[in-house]
Amino acid sequence: MNAQTTGRFAWKSHIGFIVTVVGLAALPFIMAVMEGLPVGSLLANDSSTAKFLQGLLVEVFILAVFAISYDLVLGVTGLLSFGHGMFFAFGSYLTGVLLKTFGWPLWAVLVGAVVAGLFNALLFAVVLPRVKGITFALVTLGIASVFDILIRTQELNPYTGSDVGLQGIPRPDFLNPVDDRLRFYYVTLAFAILVYLIYKRFVDSPTGRVCVATRENENRALTIGFNTFYFKLAALMVAGITASLAGMFNTLYKPLVSPEIAGLGFTVEGLLMLLIGGIGTLSGAMIGAAILRLMEYYLSRWFGESSAFILGAIYVLIVMFLPYGIVGTWRLRRLDIAAGRQRLLSMFTGRQRETPDEGKL
Amino acid sequence: MPNLLQTYRKNRTLIITLVILFLLLLLAIQGMSTRDWVVTVLRGLAVGSITFLVAAGLSIILGLMDVLNLAHGTLFMIGAYVGWSMYVRPDTVVDATTPFLLVLAGFLLMPLWMPLLGRLRLGRSATRVWPWIALLAGLALLALALTRYPLSIWSGTEYQNSPIVWNQYFEAGTVQENVTPATFDTIIAAVVDWGSLLAGSVLVGLAVAGFAIARRGPTAQAARSVARPLMWFALVAAVAIGLYVVNTPLSDFLLSLSSNALFVLALIVAALVGAGLGGLMESTMIRPLYDRGIYQILLTLGLGFIGVEMVRSIWGRTGFTMPKPALFSSTGDGCPAESISGWLQHQCSTIIVDIGGEPARIRTYNELFVIAVGIVVLIAVWLLLQRTRLGMIIRAGVQDSRMVEALGINVRRVFTLVFALGVGLAAFGGVIAAPATGLSDTMGATLLLSSLIALAIGGLTSFPGAAAGAVIVGLTQQFIIRYGQLGINLPFLAEPWKPSPPLVPASVILLMIIILLVLPQGLFGRSE
Amino acid sequence: MSNILEVRNIHTYISQFHILEGVDVEVPKGGIVALLGRNGAGKTTTLKTIMGLTPPRSGEIIFDQEPVQGRPSYEIASLGIGFVPENRGIFRDLSVLENLKIAERKKGDLDRKSDFIFELFPDLQRLIKLPGTHLSGGQQQMLAVARALVPDNRLLLIDEPSEGLAPVIIEAMMEAIRRLSSETTVLLVEQNFIVASQLAQHYVIIEEGRSVQAGLMADLVHDKATIQRYLGAA
Repeated sequence: MNAQTTGRFAWKSHIGFIVTVVGLAALPFIMAVMEGLPVGSLLANDSSTAKFLQGLLVEVFILAVFAISYDLVLGVTGLLSFGHGMFFAFGSYLTGVLLKTFGWPLWAVLVGAVVAGLFNALLFAVVLPRVKGITFALVTLGIASVFDILIRTQELNPYTGSDVGLQGIPRPDFLNPVDDRLRFYYVTLAFAILVYLIYKRFVDSPTGRVCVATRENENRALTIGFNTFYFKLAALMVAGITASLAGMFNTLYKPLVSPEIAGLGFTVEGLLMLLIGGIGTLSGAMIGAAILRLMEYYLSRWFGESSAFILGAIYVLIVMFLPYGIVGTWRLRRLDIAAGRQRLLSMFTGRQRETPDEGKL
Repeated sequence: MPNLLQTYRKNRTLIITLVILFLLLLLAIQGMSTRDWVVTVLRGLAVGSITFLVAAGLSIILGLMDVLNLAHGTLFMIGAYVGWSMYVRPDTVVDATTPFLLVLAGFLLMPLWMPLLGRLRLGRSATRVWPWIALLAGLALLALALTRYPLSIWSGTEYQNSPIVWNQYFEAGTVQENVTPATFDTIIAAVVDWGSLLAGSVLVGLAVAGFAIARRGPTAQAARSVARPLMWFALVAAVAIGLYVVNTPLSDFLLSLSSNALFVLALIVAALVGAGLGGLMESTMIRPLYDRGIYQILLTLGLGFIGVEMVRSIWGRTGFTMPKPALFSSTGDGCPAESISGWLQHQCSTIIVDIGGEPARIRTYNELFVIAVGIVVLIAVWLLLQRTRLGMIIRAGVQDSRMVEALGINVRRVFTLVFALGVGLAAFGGVIAAPATGLSDTMGATLLLSSLIALAIGGLTSFPGAAAGAVIVGLTQQFIIRYGQLGINLPFLAEPWKPSPPLVPASVILLMIIILLVLPQGLFGRSE
Repeated sequence: MSNILEVRNIHTYISQFHILEGVDVEVPKGGIVALLGRNGAGKTTTLKTIMGLTPPRSGEIIFDQEPVQGRPSYEIASLGIGFVPENRGIFRDLSVLENLKIAERKKGDLDRKSDFIFELFPDLQRLIKLPGTHLSGGQQQMLAVARALVPDNRLLLIDEPSEGLAPVIIEAMMEAIRRLSSETTVLLVEQNFIVASQLAQHYVIIEEGRSVQAGLMADLVHDKATIQRYLGAA
């Protein structure tokens, strides 16, 4: 299944990934051509539907990174965190404040976002050795609520803008989504792909394997001799940094920060992305983010205010009837097909093979 | 000395609770007059008692069936809104009961379908396809019939007909004059609508049975009894149509009732609606997920959000108040009263008592009544847990529900019952809270957060823990609010710091995190 | 038919693990049958499967002429089967009295049986108000067996009654089981062969999830080879 096992690069097993990347890279041009616009006007950054769709996709990439970082914490490591939205919101606010109030250059903001991500992960990790399961969920929910309350207080109004949020954030010259949206598009696309590849590598690494083992059975992982705390901390740190960077891009793109991203609602939106794609599958998180963002856009266009109700209903239906999400269910199907082929082969060769276990992903 | 240590170990949680409470109170009394202190304690207890009404069900449900019901706050809110409707617009509730009962009647026929459909022999693809068609047709029929059903209702969007305006009518005593009864134009229209409601719910019921057969294959079970579902169906349908017939006189009667009587009715109706919703939720949605860990939490979270959207679409996005019952609202002569008997005589909204040489204003509803209700419920639930067979089964099931089942007790039914009771209690709490705090679409989320904190402080599944946690949360909140008004002297600030009101919940969360760092199991939790 | 319980070729899975791969047990009415076998052979799972706590994927369980496999465990218990699990299943937050009372299926069950129960376990009467947490291992075991006697059970499934108990208490326990077996049939899981051989009239040996041998206990006691092979040292 893996490229390393054959020694050569296995094109076949990566074909989906490569097609997706190439397709997304070419998409702005395809859209321009479909609209009958000359490619030159695309590069000249004329406003058009193509530009609007690019913007929508930029949001998708940013949310996909947020979703995959949540998947690392919740799906891969099995930490029931209800405060993941704070990682994203913290990055967003920090970027906004640093650019607007302090006028930092972009590279410094980037460093700031990384440090903020680490700080957040450590904040969650303080309680990690002591509480588990539901209590951990409550503590993370609590910490995130404190953050939500803090940014809305009058005391911090000059920095965070309380209930209004941050507006009029200056755009840095290099990454300006208005002047050069195509560049912004490619930067966020590259960011999303990079994060995906790093995460893939992380989950396949020995550290990532211990994270999975921690999710499956923490006591067993402890008996084998792993201090699971460090692995959980590692997962939280990686997720914290990426979510914080996603938040930074979010501020750069919009360029405003609304306090809504700090609420529980945003974390739930992240959960919905994971559920649509399949918890613990990484690629599912990103696909889920894309589906959710596009669905939200069209639902609110068609149904207006009641779109939230419809989204809620979809969420409940997925939990009840499609618990493994799109990618998870697809992988299960593939296992079924593989098992069927094994049975067929064994009928001809007369040899019994173990069928792959269905319950695991 | 070792003796002392032993006593400490045995009563560890009690001692720590007392120490924390003592420190809290000690801290609190500094820079605060005795009057302020007493009033703040009363307010804290009142907040604590409302938190407790939600936290109690939450903790018993979590203990017994390992489900953290994150929809509990929303159900509390739905209780408040349903209670308000019964209180201010009882005629609307009467109107809405008829279609609701008709749909219910259709579903009551469900036990008949499985054996009946089991005899039906269809092709493979037909077996799979027809339930979908039945489901869609049934839902479409229901949607159509429900939207066309004449309801005399307020409006969530239009100010002239909004709950706020109806509140004004209520306080002026002119609700009855402003109500325009809604009826079908012709009896034929009524029969058609009722027929489609019944047909819709029957079709949905058939579809559900069809799905079960498509998945498991027909089960060869005989109908246990044909007569019983039919009897229930006839009874419920007859009550529904009977209600429509007597709609106008019944509505007039309800509208002519005193606000005290209506308030009691509102409490009962809200608790019943809550219990019904809870039972329905458990038996249809949560039950299939018992062995799927976190999916229950995700499900209840989603249901909570749907509930909020539903409330917004029916009652509007703007918050409004709920007028207090007459017993707690008078400001006329003899008021403010100076004693309990004076209040009861004049039905005052406030009592003024002399504490430490200063007059203290105590609101009869917000403080006295709410605390009294909290205490009564605390005792009632405690008696239920300690003195009844159901309570015994709950306490045993919290530890090991499979062993309880192996003794021959139908634990699943107990689960449904307990879920219904817990949610009913939360909905009841919603009505109690509404006149004191008003109604808004965020009241559920706020209260869910404080009752989760209360639970975490108290030890998640412990009932006394939930009560203690709720009181701690309430007291902390109110003391911080009071301090915010007085100002806190900080060593590095020249002027007293006055935190803005939103910082109050933050302080309670910090308290929770500190307690959990010291005692990860909470105050009353047991380390497993 | 004189068998009160017949287990025919049951297969049980716990998540993906195939634990029971064909177990047959026949329990004649009256007396005691012992399930023997090494640790992890599947004895406890057999009891749990009969109770419906780990339902079998295939095979038949017939209790008193009635197939019970696949039914919820409260229904199986209500037919008249009492279960004393390995961990004793005493409810910590309930007093001894409540632990007995919760097992009532009809009102007054406990009142009718209390004389018999307290005659078997006189200690319990003294402890009646104590919460379950404060009981010693032996007292818990007595309470667990007593609890199974409260309703009118026709069959008791008792898992490892002698495990972790002091020799004196084992003696008392054995005496109690012998006496109660005059009233109801008992299916016993027992590691301690000496205990089992003194109590039971019949035996079934389970090895790696299969029942491999069954017969009269009187014959097995002399069959050193079989004891050596399936049960280790005798």
